[in-house]
Amino acid sequence: MIAKKIGSGLKRASVCLLAAAIAACGGSGTVATPAAAPPSLAAVAGKALFFDASLSASGRQSCGTCHVPTRAFTGDPATDHGLPVPLGGRTMDQTGFRNAPSLMYASFTPPFSLDGGPVGGFFRDGRASSLAAQAQAPFVTSFEMANADAREVVGRLQDSPATLAAFVAAYGNDALSDPQTALNDMGLAIAAYETQDDEFHPFSSKFDYYLQGHAQLTPQEQNGLALYNNPGKGNCTACHPSQRQSFSDHALFTDFSFDNIGVPRNWAIPANNAEAVSPIDGAPLSIALLPVDVPSDAEYAYYDLGLCGPFVPAVGDANARPNLAATTSLCGVFKVPTLRNIAVTTPYFHNGVFSGLHQVVEWYVTRDVNDNTGNNPNPVAAGPGGNPYMPGGTFYTAADGTPDLYEYNDLPVKYDANVNIVEVPYTPPTFGGGQAPTLNAAEIDDLVAFLCTLTDGYDPKNPSAYVIPAQCQPTAAATAAALKQGTAP
Amino acid sequence: MILDTTARTSGTPRSPCAAVLMATALLAAATASAADTPAKSSEQQQIDSLQQQLQAVQAQMKQLAEQNQALLQMLKPQVAASPAAPGSAAPPGNAAAAGGLTPPGNLAPPAAASVGAAPAANGTPVSGGAGFSNVKLWGYGEVYYTRPSRVPSRAEADLARAVFGIGYSFDSKTEFNSEFEVEHAVSSASDVGEFEVEQFYVDRQLADPVTVRAGLFLMPFGLLNEHHEPTNFYGVQRNFVETLIIPSTWREGGFNLHGDTPLGLSWNAGLITGFDLSKWDYAPEFPQYTTALDLEDKDVAPLQSTHQELALANAHNLSQYIALGYYGVPGLTVGGAIFTGNAVKVPAPPNAPILGDQRVTLWEGHVRWTPGKFDLSALYAHGSISNLGVANASNPGSPNPIPSDFYGYFLQAAYGVWEHGDYRLAPFVRWERYDMGSRYAGTTGPAVPAGLLPLSGTPGDYGYWPQNHDRVSTVGANFYTTPHVVLKADYQWFHVNSDFNRFDLGLGLNF
Repeated sequence: MIAKKIGSGLKRASVCLLAAAIAACGGSGTVATPAAAPPSLAAVAGKALFFDASLSASGRQSCGTCHVPTRAFTGDPATDHGLPVPLGGRTMDQTGFRNAPSLMYASFTPPFSLDGGPVGGFFRDGRASSLAAQAQAPFVTSFEMANADAREVVGRLQDSPATLAAFVAAYGNDALSDPQTALNDMGLAIAAYETQDDEFHPFSSKFDYYLQGHAQLTPQEQNGLALYNNPGKGNCTACHPSQRQSFSDHALFTDFSFDNIGVPRNWAIPANNAEAVSPIDGAPLSIALLPVDVPSDAEYAYYDLGLCGPFVPAVGDANARPNLAATTSLCGVFKVPTLRNIAVTTPYFHNGVFSGLHQVVEWYVTRDVNDNTGNNPNPVAAGPGGNPYMPGGTFYTAADGTPDLYEYNDLPVKYDANVNIVEVPYTPPTFGGGQAPTLNAAEIDDLVAFLCTLTDGYDPKNPSAYVIPAQCQPTAAATAAALKQGTAP
Repeated sequence: MILDTTARTSGTPRSPCAAVLMATALLAAATASAADTPAKSSEQQQIDSLQQQLQAVQAQMKQLAEQNQALLQMLKPQVAASPAAPGSAAPPGNAAAAGGLTPPGNLAPPAAASVGAAPAANGTPVSGGAGFSNVKLWGYGEVYYTRPSRVPSRAEADLARAVFGIGYSFDSKTEFNSEFEVEHAVSSASDVGEFEVEQFYVDRQLADPVTVRAGLFLMPFGLLNEHHEPTNFYGVQRNFVETLIIPSTWREGGFNLHGDTPLGLSWNAGLITGFDLSKWDYAPEFPQYTTALDLEDKDVAPLQSTHQELALANAHNLSQYIALGYYGVPGLTVGGAIFTGNAVKVPAPPNAPILGDQRVTLWEGHVRWTPGKFDLSALYAHGSISNLGVANASNPGSPNPIPSDFYGYFLQAAYGVWEHGDYRLAPFVRWERYDMGSRYAGTTGPAVPAGLLPLSGTPGDYGYWPQNHDRVSTVGANFYTTPHVVLKADYQWFHVNSDFNRFDLGLGLNF
């Protein structure tokens, strides 16, 4: 297999845990919402717009439907009937194509750039030039809020008195005279809300208080942080820096770069599965696949290729990145998300293929341990020597759950060379002496314990009040050890 | 033309030209004075007398001019052989070993002994017009071939540095010197090379024993930092102690006072910029060096990676240093120096200030003795950085925490085994030890990943992470074809990072 590095930047992934959510998985942590400075009129209008479902064609979907505050502004699994992608459209029966990302800390995202490798931009593929450009797009996206155009959006705003009042207060009585200008201002208002309201960036996790000396990590969490930083173990910090960078005085746990890490295909996304049925009534779905330039010999009819498409920059977004559909070396790369609040943003990755952090890390460290695809005449069984975490010996499964013929099966085989195989924790078979997972099961537990400390809403003065996310609940053994050490959360 | 005999320091020129001019002026004044004497004889007698006086003056001037030429011829080789002159063939501090071009017992401070030395202050005056008579030009450079014996695929050839110096004497007491360096042959955004200003300062002599210097200048630490020209040290590469512990070529911006005493004591004290710990990289994903050449070139050592080089240097905290040297016994050089100053601190998260200062201190002691054809030297250097507990503790698992202590030392012996004309061969041996992190606060030390791991983003590039301490044995020889051109060869054994073992060839020149 030939490795392909994305751009010249070497800071590439490792335990990349793509945030986002929709499907249900356990409980949710509490995200603190302290408000510091009074918001601007634009931010007040933005908040009203953000939560106003009447602005959608269905009347049932707002920004907040797919970006729920209590879930770090990702989706609510109850809303989407268990799908890893949102439901939307004029009658709320259209399925989306990507797992909704967290909006927390999104305001720190730099503009898109290709210098030294792709970095920044908004949406998972960086196609929007700004937070405002991103925020206005769902209003007129057919499988989301589904307005036909800006005029329809403005019409609905005129019928929503409270939101309209806030909007006019910020942008004036003539704010609706030109629909496109009004839609642009709506994007600006929502961006102001996401930028100014500390709800989106409270920096109130246990890890933050630990750095300030107001909280103590348990030995397990401390070891997890060390594994996170260690370039020979988790190496997570390579793409999700635990040190602050130029974007903020705080560590953001993303460097906003892009990477192709070869995540497994998620057959639960209706666009990926011709046999998909509606999660609402069980009827067969007829998905209008987005046009994507897949190779003629591709294994499947549809792929989400990230920077290569199917989504392209909006025509009206003058500062957006170029259309990169023809840059095949970038096919399959997606923006590295923040790991802050990762414990409450299930499912994971752009396609929501994994529903728990343990599973994500298990996949990372065994991704290339053995080629147990259907093309391997001598697959290694699960367990010692094989993949200890999957009954079938591989995370790469076909729609029926059996080992797929292809390893990186959410990418045309022709683009396999785009997958990052040059960084820990990837251990491709081509690398002599490798193949052993860089983390064992106990170390995975420790790493996940640390990731759980990145959830906002921790109160060092009253740690017992902190609602621990379900997948972060300590095991009995860990609790006993922590109590013994006097470091129980 | 003013002949600069200030050699390595910027002392008052003792130019024979100046003496001649002064004598001439005095004579002319006397002549004028005589002409003003009231006439005691006839007009013709006065004319005859004046003619005789004029002839006498002309004869004296001719005699002085001849003496001046003779003095000039005598001084030229001495200037060229001056121990601190970049053009000298002398190994550091040992003029005698350089083919005897410097008179033995010369009490002029040897290059490596002088703490006020200004290597740049010895250029060749530019001819071609009175406007250039105070300008000096000089240069040096070196080319390496290095071949790791266990990993020959990593053999490299490099025009490591090409340096050009420009100096200008404003008057007999004020002098400017500068050096401009291109490293690794090509410097551009897409190449590995760098273009940098290595020195840029003005000296002003305040009195015979005291000179003030201001600008960007080399720090008077160790045997090599101020005298790093390739003809001035043994071995193809500089020793590791004076690279990884003393961050040669170490320069700072600020000012100093320096001078020498008649008893052979040199002194130097300054107020300067310091280090910037905010530049520290706690999270290198790949090893910062995988060969010995990388180790020297990639600014990975504690003070290499945090020095500022007066490039928009943070000057909130100024540092101080003092250096002393003694060269009163011919052939013996003893010296030491200490630097201390608060660094720019490691960034802390908001609301989590790192209390207290993070102070960088570096001290060293060195000795060099050149009995007969031997050239023996030793050096110890130790650095420390305070108050790192919080910063390091915030980065557990880091392969590169900041050390609280680091040190190194070496012993070296060379012998001038053969000389013929300008040719000279000097084999040497050196044993050195360095530890870039002998103690850490807030962490047990670097989490050096074990096993075969990716060494870079290049597919298939796998290997082992190196340790940040080692013991290095070096055997080699310097062969001078002229005092200004040296060919070098050596082999180095690394006792810990044995994959670094290497064979080196080098060409160095200096004029």
